[in-house]
Amino acid sequence: MSSVTADHVPASHGHDDHHEMPRGWRRWLFATNHKDIGTMYLIFSFLMLLEGGTLALLLRTELFEPGLQFFQPELFNQFTTMHGLIMIFGAIMPAFVGFANWMIPLQIGASDMAFARMNNFSFWLLPVGAILFTASFFVPGGATASGWTMYAPLSLQMGPGMDFAIFAVHILGASSIMGAINIIVTILNMRAPGMTLMKMPLFCWTWLITAYLLIAVMPVLAAAVTMLLTDRHFGTAFFNAAAGGDPVLYQHVFWFFGHPEVYIMILPAFGIVSAIVPAFARKPLFGYASMVYATAAIAILSFLVWAHHMFATGMPVTGQLYFMYATMLISIPTGVKIFNWVATMWRGSLTFETPMLFAIGFIFVFTLGGFTGLIVAVAPIDIAVHDTYYVVAHFHYVLVAGSLFALFGGAYYWLPKWTGRMYDERLGKWHFWSTMISFNVTFFPMHFLGLAGMPRRYVDYAAQFTDFHQIATIGAFWFGLSQILFMYVVLKAYAGRGEPAAAKPWEGAEGLEWTVPSPAPFHTFVTPPVVK
Amino acid sequence: MTPEQRRRNRIAGIILAIIVIAIFAWTFVRGSALMN
Repeated sequence: MSSVTADHVPASHGHDDHHEMPRGWRRWLFATNHKDIGTMYLIFSFLMLLEGGTLALLLRTELFEPGLQFFQPELFNQFTTMHGLIMIFGAIMPAFVGFANWMIPLQIGASDMAFARMNNFSFWLLPVGAILFTASFFVPGGATASGWTMYAPLSLQMGPGMDFAIFAVHILGASSIMGAINIIVTILNMRAPGMTLMKMPLFCWTWLITAYLLIAVMPVLAAAVTMLLTDRHFGTAFFNAAAGGDPVLYQHVFWFFGHPEVYIMILPAFGIVSAIVPAFARKPLFGYASMVYATAAIAILSFLVWAHHMFATGMPVTGQLYFMYATMLISIPTGVKIFNWVATMWRGSLTFETPMLFAIGFIFVFTLGGFTGLIVAVAPIDIAVHDTYYVVAHFHYVLVAGSLFALFGGAYYWLPKWTGRMYDERLGKWHFWSTMISFNVTFFPMHFLGLAGMPRRYVDYAAQFTDFHQIATIGAFWFGLSQILFMYVVLKAYAGRGEPAAAKPWEGAEGLEWTVPSPAPFHTFVTPPVVK
Repeated sequence: MTPEQRRRNRIAGIILAIIVIAIFAWTFVRGSALMN
C-alpha cells in the first residue's frame, strides 16, 4: 500500500459520541452502525466456531479408538456434515464479513457501509440459518449426513434434516450475497477523496475481489440446492439418475461454487496478513501492485479448476490434464504473495507481538497446506488419496492454519482499535504457541493416516491407524482448550482491563483506521478525510 | 452520505442484484436443458 496520510481528520470525535447512538437492545437489534454490526458478526462467528468445534471434538472422541465407542455411524455422519457446514457458512465466512464491516469503512475513510439497513438484515439472517442447522439434529432422522458437499443421490434420499440444511444454505447464502453487494458498493462509491483504488489497504482489495467471487458463485450454490429441493419434493429429475437426471451434474455445479469458495475463505486472510506483516516489519508492503494483481489472478483461476475435485468421478484424460495444469497455475500468484511477505520482512525491524506471530505462523503453515494442494492437484496421486485423511489434512492446513490463524492475527491487531484497550500480550503469545503446536499435533498425523489409506468420514478403522488417530484426538482437545484462552484475552480487553490503547498502538502501522481514537468512536469520518 | 452518493449506491446495488438473479436463473435453466 502506498503510504496514506489524512489531510483532514475530524479531531476528537467527542461530539460524535453522544448523538444518534441508540441504547439497550435496540442498539443491537436495529443496528445500522458498521462497527456494531461488525461486532455482532464477530461474536456470532465465534459462537459458531465453538459449535462446529464441539462437533469436531465429538468426532475425535469417537475416533480415539477403533470400534464404536459413543456414537452410531448415522450420528457420526451427521456430526461430520454439520461440522463442515457450520464452520464454513457459520464461522469462517461471517468472521471475515465482521472484519470487513469493522475495518473497510475505517480504512477507506467512509462514514459507514453503503447500505446500512441491508447490512442489519444480512446479519440477522445468520442466526436464522444457525438455528436451522442446529434444529435439524432434532427432526426425524436427524441432521443431514450427506457431507458438506450434499452430493446427489445421497442428499435426495435424506430425511427432513436435508431440507433444513438446504434452507439454511439459502439463507446464509442470501446473507453473504447482500454482504458482498454492500462491500463492493462501499468500496467503489464511498472512498474518501484522494483514496484511489491503488492506495487502498490490501485488506480492502482482497475483500473487493472476494465480494465479486461471492456475487458470481453464491447464486450457483443457491441454484444447485434449489434443484436438490425440487428433485426431493416437486418431481423434477435434475440429479436423480433413476428418473433420467445426472448426479455428476450436481458435482460440476457444486464445485463451480465450491472451489471459488475456498478462495472466498482465504483471500481476506491474505489481506489481514498483508496489513500485519508491514506493521511489525516496519517497512511498506513489498510489491503492493503485484499483490493486487496476484489476488485477482487467483480469483480468476479459481473459476477454471473446479473439476480437480472430481478426478475420482471419472473424466477424459485431456480433462484430467487440463484441470491438473490449471490447478498448478494457482501456485504462481500464491507464490508471489508468499515471496512478497517474506521480502517485506527481509531486513525489516521485526518485532514479534502476537499478531505478527500469527501472521508468520500463517505464512509457514498455510504454505505447507499449499504444497499438499499441489500434490493432490496431480490427478494420479489424487485418485490414490481421494477421500482419505490426506485431503482432510490438506484442507485443514489451508482453512485452520490459513483462515483461522489470519482471523486470530487480525483480531489481536485491531483489538486495541475495537476496545480501546491493549490485550494481554503474554497470554496472547501463550495462545499463539498453544494453538500452533496443538494444530500441528492434530492435523500433521492425518497426512500419514491418509497416505496409509485411512478413508475420511469413517466412524471406525483398522487397528493399525490407532496411534495416529490418538495423537490427533489429543491435539484436537488441546487445540479446543487453547481457544478458551483466546476468549479470555478478548473478553478481558472488552471489559476494559488492560492498558489504554493509543490511536496508533503499533509503531509501524499505516492507514486511516489509526488516525481515529481508540476505541473507534461510534461515528467516524462524518466529514471525509482527504487522502494525500 | 451525499444524495449523489446515495443515488450511485442504489444504481450499483441494483446492477449487482440483477447479476445475482441472472446467474441463479442461468444455472437453473442450464440444469433444465441438460435434464432433457
